[in-house]
Amino acid sequence: MGHKRLRFVGLVVAAMVLAAACGGSSGGGTPAKTFKIGLVTDTGGLNDKSFNHLADVGLEKAKTDFKIQGDVKESKTGDDYIPNLTDFASKNYDLVIGVGFLMQQAIGTVSGQFPNIHFAIIDGAGTDANGKDLQHTNVQSLFFKEQDAGAMVGAMAGWLEKNGKAKKNLHVISAVGGVSIPPVNHYIAGYKWAAKMEDPSIQVLVGYSNNFNDPAKCKSVAQAQINAKSDVVFQVAGGCGLGALQQAGQSGVYSVGVDADQKDADPSVIASALKKVDVATYTAISNVVKGQFQGGALTFSIANDGAGYAVDNFSLPAELKTELDKIQGQIKSGALTPPADIPA
Amino acid sequence: MPLGSVVFAFVVGALICLVTGANPIDAYSGLLCGGFGIACAQGENPALQVSNTVVFLIPLITTGVAVALPFRAGLFNIGAEGQLLAGAIACTAIGVQFKDLPAVILLPMVLLGGMAAGAVWAGIAGVLKATVGAHEVVTTIMLNYIAQWLLRYLIIGGPLQLGAGTSTSKPIGQGARLATLLPADNSLIIFGLPASVFRVHTGLLIALVAVAAFAFLLWRTSFGYEIRTVGQSQKAARYAGVSVSRTIIITMLIAGAFSGLAGAIQISGVDHNLTDKYFTDTTGFDAIAVALLGLGSAVGIVLAALLFGALHAGGAIMQSDAGISSNLVLVLQALILFSIAANFVGAIRKGLPFGRKSADLPPELPPAAGLMSEAAAPPPEPT
Repeated sequence: MGHKRLRFVGLVVAAMVLAAACGGSSGGGTPAKTFKIGLVTDTGGLNDKSFNHLADVGLEKAKTDFKIQGDVKESKTGDDYIPNLTDFASKNYDLVIGVGFLMQQAIGTVSGQFPNIHFAIIDGAGTDANGKDLQHTNVQSLFFKEQDAGAMVGAMAGWLEKNGKAKKNLHVISAVGGVSIPPVNHYIAGYKWAAKMEDPSIQVLVGYSNNFNDPAKCKSVAQAQINAKSDVVFQVAGGCGLGALQQAGQSGVYSVGVDADQKDADPSVIASALKKVDVATYTAISNVVKGQFQGGALTFSIANDGAGYAVDNFSLPAELKTELDKIQGQIKSGALTPPADIPA
Repeated sequence: MPLGSVVFAFVVGALICLVTGANPIDAYSGLLCGGFGIACAQGENPALQVSNTVVFLIPLITTGVAVALPFRAGLFNIGAEGQLLAGAIACTAIGVQFKDLPAVILLPMVLLGGMAAGAVWAGIAGVLKATVGAHEVVTTIMLNYIAQWLLRYLIIGGPLQLGAGTSTSKPIGQGARLATLLPADNSLIIFGLPASVFRVHTGLLIALVAVAAFAFLLWRTSFGYEIRTVGQSQKAARYAGVSVSRTIIITMLIAGAFSGLAGAIQISGVDHNLTDKYFTDTTGFDAIAVALLGLGSAVGIVLAALLFGALHAGGAIMQSDAGISSNLVLVLQALILFSIAANFVGAIRKGLPFGRKSADLPPELPPAAGLMSEAAAPPPEPT
C-alpha cells in the first residue's frame, strides 16, 4: 500500500505544479479608479429568488451605473461566512457586503480585523458572540421595516377573508417562518396586525420550519396549516418557503411570496411582500463610490421606497385596491405604524 | 482506486466546465488557490487559503475515523453527523454552564464531555444492533434527525438560547476555547494580514493524535483484531471466541466518541457557540466520502480530508476568480463518490465482490463493508 500512497501524493503534487504553470498569468494590473465591491451571500445562494438574489440585482445595477468591479461569493455553509468575507477584505476591496442576519457575528469578527475596509450588512449589524452590536465605525447596517411590507399583504389577506373573496373564507390565514429571528418576525408581525385590522375575527396561524433552504420542510409546515383551515399562506422562509407556495398551490389555497416578487414561483401566489434589498445594496455601493460611506444604521421602509408589495397572479378588486392605497399612504405618512413584534 | 476516482471526477468536472462554456483551467487554478494557496490569480493571500483549508479538514479527520472504524467491523455508521451534533451540544452546554472555570479544568471537560455525548449517541445504535438486530444504517440516520431537532429546540426557545429572537446559543467561556496556533491578535501582522485571520487551532493536533490512535487501536491491539475479525466474518469471530455483540457495541461507542470530539473541537476551536449553521451542517456526511476515499486507513483519511477540505475552501475562490459557480465543487465531490461506488458495482459484476485475502465475508454485510475489505486487500493495479 505504501507505494500507492506515494503515487497519490506524487500525482497531487504534479497536478498542482501543472495548474500553477497554467494559471499564473491571468492577473494583470487594476486601473486606478475602479471600486472593488465584494458580495457574500448566505447559504440561500444567488438563486433563492429572494434577498440574496435581490442583493445581486442591486450589485448588477451598480455595475452599469458606476465604474466598479463586483464579485460574488456564495456561502455553501455557515462555515464559509468568515473565509468569504476575509478573502475580500484581505484583497482590499472598497466595500464588502454580507447578505443576511445570519452573518452578523462573522461581520463583527472580520470588521474588527480589517478596520480600514468598509463593510455593509443586510438585516444586521456587526456583533460579538453575545449578539451585542460592536458599533464598528466601518460597518453600515442596512435594516428594513419588514412589518411595512408584511402589513400590506396582511391587509390584503384580511380583506379577502372578510369579504368572502378567498377560497374557503373560514377566517383563518397563516405564515410559515424560517427561523424565529427579528427580520422574519417583523414580516409576520405586520401581516398579523393588518389582517386583524381588516378582519377582527380572523385567526392567524404562525409556524416555523427552522430552515431557510429546504423546500420540503416548509411544505410540511404549510400543509399542517392548510389542514387547520388556513386559506392564505404567507411564506417568510427564503428558499425553504418556495415549498410552502407549492403546497398552497396543490391544496388550492392562496399564497403570498416574500422579499422578492415571487409570482413565477407558483400560480397560487397572489401577492409578494417586498423588501427592496436591491435598493439597499445599490444605495450602500453608491455611498462608497461617492465617498459618503457612514457607519451605523440605514433603515429602508415604505416611506423611502425600500419596502412595499406586488400584486401577482390575481386581479385586485377595485375596492381592495383603494383600501391598500389608503393603508400604504397612512403608513407612509406615519398615521399607521405596523408593530415590529408579533401581536397576541 | 481512490486516485482513479479523483482523476475521473476532475476529468468529468473539466468536461462539465467546457460544456457550460467555462474554462476548466481557470476553474481548477481557482480551486488550487483557494485550497492550497498555489497559483492565486487575484492577489489572494496564500497563507490565508492554507489556513482555511486546515480549519475545514480538522473535523473531517475525526468524523472520517468515526465512519472508518465501524466499517472495519462491518458496520455502516451514517450517524457521524448526529454524533457530532451531540458532541457540539455537550461541549457548549458544559462550556456555558461552567464558563468561569480555568482552561486547565474546563478544556478537558468540554472535550471529554463532547466525546462522551457522541459515544452515547452512537452507543444507542450499537446496543440496538447487538441486542435486537436493528440495522445501524436505519438507527443512525434516525438518530441524526433526533440530534438535529434537539439542537433546534435547545437554541430556539430552549435553555441554551442566547436571547429571545435569536437562533444561537450563549458563547462558551474563555477557558473552554482551544487556542489558535497564531496569536488571535488584530494588530499583529503576520504574512501581511492581521494574525487573527489565521484560524488554525490546536484542534489540528488533537485530530492528528486521534487518527493515530485509531490506527494503533485497529492494528496494534487485540481489540482492533477483534473488530477486523468481526468485520470479515461474524461466524468465524464467534468460533474464535470473540463476542460479536460486545465488539459491535464498543466499536460504536469509540466511533461516536471520535465524532463527538469533532463537534466539541468545532465549538471549542472555531465557533465558540452553537448557531443555526449546525442545522444544515454536512461534515458527518462528507466524512463517509472521506472514509471511503481514504480506504479506511489513517493516512488515507488524512489525505482524503485534505482533499475535501481544499475543495470546500477552494470553491469560493473559484467562484469569485473564475466566475464558475462553487456548486462545481459539489459536483466534483459527488463524482468522486460516484466513481467509488461504480467501482464497487464493477466488482460485483465480475463475481469477485470481495478481495483475495478476505474470501469469506457473509453476504448480509452492508455493501460499504465489503468495499472496505476489498480495499484492505491489494487491489488490481489500475495501470
